[in-house]
Amino acid sequence: MSGQTTTVPGAAVTRLSKQVVATAHPRGPRTWVATGVVNVVTAAIGLAFLVPMLWVVFAAFNARAGLKVEWPGSNFSLDNFRAVMTPETTYRPMWNGLVLCVGAAAIAIVVATLAAYPLSRFQTRYKRPFLLTILFSTGLPITAIMVPVYGLFVQLNLIDTLGGTIAFMATTSLPISIFLTKNFMDGVPISLEEAAWTDGASSMQTLRYVVLPLMWPGLSVVTIFTFIGLWGNFFIPFVLLLSPDRLPASVSIFTFFGQYGSVQWGQLAAYSVLYTLPVILLYLLLSRRLGGAFTFGGALKG
Amino acid sequence: MRRRSFLTAAGLGAGALFGTAACGGGGSSESSGSAATKVAYQQWGSGTIMKDYLTGVKTAYESANSGKTMELLPIVASENDYYTKLQLMMRSPRTSPDVVYEDTFLINSDITAGYLQPLDAQLEKWDEWSQFQDIAKGAAKAADGKTYGIPDGTDTRALWFNKDLFAKAGLPADWAPTSWDDLLAAARELKGKLPGVTPINVYAGKAAGEAASMQGFEMLFYGTGSTLYDPKADKWNVASPEFRDALTLLKTLYDEKLCPDPQIALDAQVGTRVQEEFLPGSTMAIALDGSWLSGTWLESGGAPWAEWNDVMGTAPMPTKTASGDGKISMSGGWTWAMTKNAANPDDAWKVMSTLTSFENNVKYNIASAAVAVRKDVAEDPQYTGSNPTLEFFSSLVPVTQYRPQNTDYPRVSNEIQVAMEAVVTGQASPSEAADSYDEAVKGIVGEDKTATL
Amino acid sequence: MATLTRPGSPETGTELHRRTHPLRVDIARALPLTPAVVLLLVFLAGPILWCCYAAFTDTALTGAGSGATRFVGLDNFRQAFGSDAFRNSVVLTLVFTVLSAVVGQNLLGLALALLQKRAARVVRMLVGTAVIGAWVIPEVVAGYVWYAFLAKDGTLNEIIGTLGLGQNWLYTLPILAVSIANVWRGTAFSMLVYNAALSEIPQEIEEAAEMDGATGFSRLRYVTIPMIRRTVTTNLMLITLQTLSVFGLIYTMTKGGPGTKSQTLPLYMYEQAFSFSQLGYGTAIALVLLAVGAVFSVVYMRLLREEA
Repeated sequence: MSGQTTTVPGAAVTRLSKQVVATAHPRGPRTWVATGVVNVVTAAIGLAFLVPMLWVVFAAFNARAGLKVEWPGSNFSLDNFRAVMTPETTYRPMWNGLVLCVGAAAIAIVVATLAAYPLSRFQTRYKRPFLLTILFSTGLPITAIMVPVYGLFVQLNLIDTLGGTIAFMATTSLPISIFLTKNFMDGVPISLEEAAWTDGASSMQTLRYVVLPLMWPGLSVVTIFTFIGLWGNFFIPFVLLLSPDRLPASVSIFTFFGQYGSVQWGQLAAYSVLYTLPVILLYLLLSRRLGGAFTFGGALKG
Repeated sequence: MRRRSFLTAAGLGAGALFGTAACGGGGSSESSGSAATKVAYQQWGSGTIMKDYLTGVKTAYESANSGKTMELLPIVASENDYYTKLQLMMRSPRTSPDVVYEDTFLINSDITAGYLQPLDAQLEKWDEWSQFQDIAKGAAKAADGKTYGIPDGTDTRALWFNKDLFAKAGLPADWAPTSWDDLLAAARELKGKLPGVTPINVYAGKAAGEAASMQGFEMLFYGTGSTLYDPKADKWNVASPEFRDALTLLKTLYDEKLCPDPQIALDAQVGTRVQEEFLPGSTMAIALDGSWLSGTWLESGGAPWAEWNDVMGTAPMPTKTASGDGKISMSGGWTWAMTKNAANPDDAWKVMSTLTSFENNVKYNIASAAVAVRKDVAEDPQYTGSNPTLEFFSSLVPVTQYRPQNTDYPRVSNEIQVAMEAVVTGQASPSEAADSYDEAVKGIVGEDKTATL
Repeated sequence: MATLTRPGSPETGTELHRRTHPLRVDIARALPLTPAVVLLLVFLAGPILWCCYAAFTDTALTGAGSGATRFVGLDNFRQAFGSDAFRNSVVLTLVFTVLSAVVGQNLLGLALALLQKRAARVVRMLVGTAVIGAWVIPEVVAGYVWYAFLAKDGTLNEIIGTLGLGQNWLYTLPILAVSIANVWRGTAFSMLVYNAALSEIPQEIEEAAEMDGATGFSRLRYVTIPMIRRTVTTNLMLITLQTLSVFGLIYTMTKGGPGTKSQTLPLYMYEQAFSFSQLGYGTAIALVLLAVGAVFSVVYMRLLREEA
């Protein structure tokens, strides 16, 4: 239980800035060659990650899109977007998705932050089993429990309600949110709080004024993580919402690959681009606020 | 102050959550108390035939019955997910639709589960019921002898062939094979004379799903005179030599590359590609497929093809040795059924009988290129004139077979697909694959419910 | 305790505050946990308990089992372990998890984090964006992207077309294909975790090691890895558990096929529970899946303890 490494108070804060500046120190021709190799290898890996993605972007603007990555060239057109950008296909599901996921992510973050505080700050003998349970719950196959959840929702009169669905979606992302938030909170030194406590501040006050301001980067990561998971979730809204006009974009994209009628690759790609946009925007927004240092500030030490 | 705003925000979040929940709850109970009859159906892909049709019926129904409303409940999902959702909804009186659209091959499971109610009392008094063909009347008849659904159309299966390619290969435009050997001979002829053209498609794997079991395997197997299941004895057929025969034909077709490459045949897109790419593109000569295929090529379909009627010919699928009628077909189809939890059975019945009335049934059968199950529709000139292949596919109704109307069929069907796939990929010989099938079927239905038929 | 409590300041701080506080204080301190606990109990624990019960019944969504549910004891498990399809799924799940999470995401993530430390700023930014880009893309879209990339007329065959290797990779090497797609999608997580962990290693230690002549792999092995061991374990645990339950990616790419060649446990469970409506059997499979996760977790925690 006693640690063998000691973290200096404040390290969590400097940590963030340090990794931005951490660079190699070239020393002589041998290291120079090594650095060259490193750059080439890194760039190659980056390229390998990029290539598959190109298809979705190019095909979206290609009137005659197939499965190959092809520069649209003379086939460039916005027809694919025009075809899918209808209230029924795009606007309404997208709006529903935003309502569900923003709501669920917000609840998950608030609840996870509250829960993380005692977990990070106080010792009790229930903490370890609780954390282990939380950690283990991150791998629950949610699909498996949807049938009883449907029954539960009928009992509670929550079926086909946005509120109920939001609450359930928030709950499914709680384990990972709590776990990550707790870890980020561990990175905020306790000494600052002790001063606040001495001044008579309550735990909630210290959480709000001392801890949270220091862990915005971490919370951004948790937000992104939670939102991605929820935005892609098809089965929960599909089961819990009955009215088709309440279904989110994750359900419409899942059915795009319909077995009746041909797959319009261009339209599929265009819809994928539209569907991915909110996540990309959220990421850009948050990472800009972090000055590009989108990292797991407090390392995951469990 | 600032601390309060933080806590208020959290509180507001929770409040909003339960507030919305409460509102939503109120909303749903309100709608179930109203007079609306809820009609659930599957909405999948871009097709809007059903939606357009139901919207029309809804308007007509509501203006004919003042004060009554019909609420459409499309379930946007693939077939598996459609049933999952539908069954979940039917389980609870609070969320149950009143009228549901069910495939004949799955309706038996839902009858056994007690989700549906018998319609005998209503059908007895319905003067239009006598217009339904007897075989169709049986489509939704359960083991208890009661009828649980009204069919709205059926389909048959046969051979579609490309007359242009046949002409090039020196085969007749009125081609009509009389046995499996005949069929193989034509395919080999095409293979030899037309390099680059796939002679024939027979669906063969899990990716094609039920199409592989029904259009593929069963069109061969039922042509041997055998059957998968004997409803009278409640026995499933195992250790069947005919089962092995059907798999052997499949092996020949794939081994000799008369069928598409397994990489294409075992892809989920194979059905779409056959309809929209291979046949119109003249890269495939014969397709063992459904009567609805031309629906795709109509102006209103997914891949309009103006010349389809000049290019494509049709022929019945021959039995193995020209025995029996010499031809075979398989039929499926969907029915309208009433749920156990229907809030107002009288209204639900009114909706169902409107949905399947002469006038509406003509419209739906034309729009979906379905084979009519009502005698008056089958004879209606507007219907018969709507599609040149309807007459041919309707003529197969006397020789058609239905799949086992048994709860276990969907799982057995999956095992058929597994066996087919093992054969066409060369993982197992026909008899090895059939042995595994036998074992799997025993596991599913219990050894006591199997026999060699 | 060693695995789950972060050594260092928070605990040290708490020690000061521990003193002897009465139960009242404990409860007051645990109060912020309430919303989380309530949500988890109502929406997760309840349904999970039902599943644990259902796994020992023949309950079904339709057919006989949905009317009168019977208690069948261990029958579902017996049926599972006697079934080829199930054993096939277990093997595929292990292959998929080891290949894509334990080896793929973990090692590639670590490699990227190490490389990024040394790479030029612009290269670092670009690779970071590409890797994180793959991560933020929704699962279904990632599935479509890889379906297109590996298809017979897809980009990969276009690139290597000259080598004469053109084939439908989803057909010929399905489990490898979905594993690679999962590496693509999930590596960002490990990379971010290791980025953070590496940045915590004091510069002096690395420099000292360098002075001692420790280079390349030996420095990695004897200095870097031991310093981030704890992070490695936690990361492995998280990505393993996440990978075990991957469904959407595989479903979009191959639907578990061809045949059952990429049908991992979540897909097998989905097929049994929803395509065949065998809920009882399906939930039994889900419990097996959880057990596999538990085995992995125990192994990781043992490894950590042994090395500590």
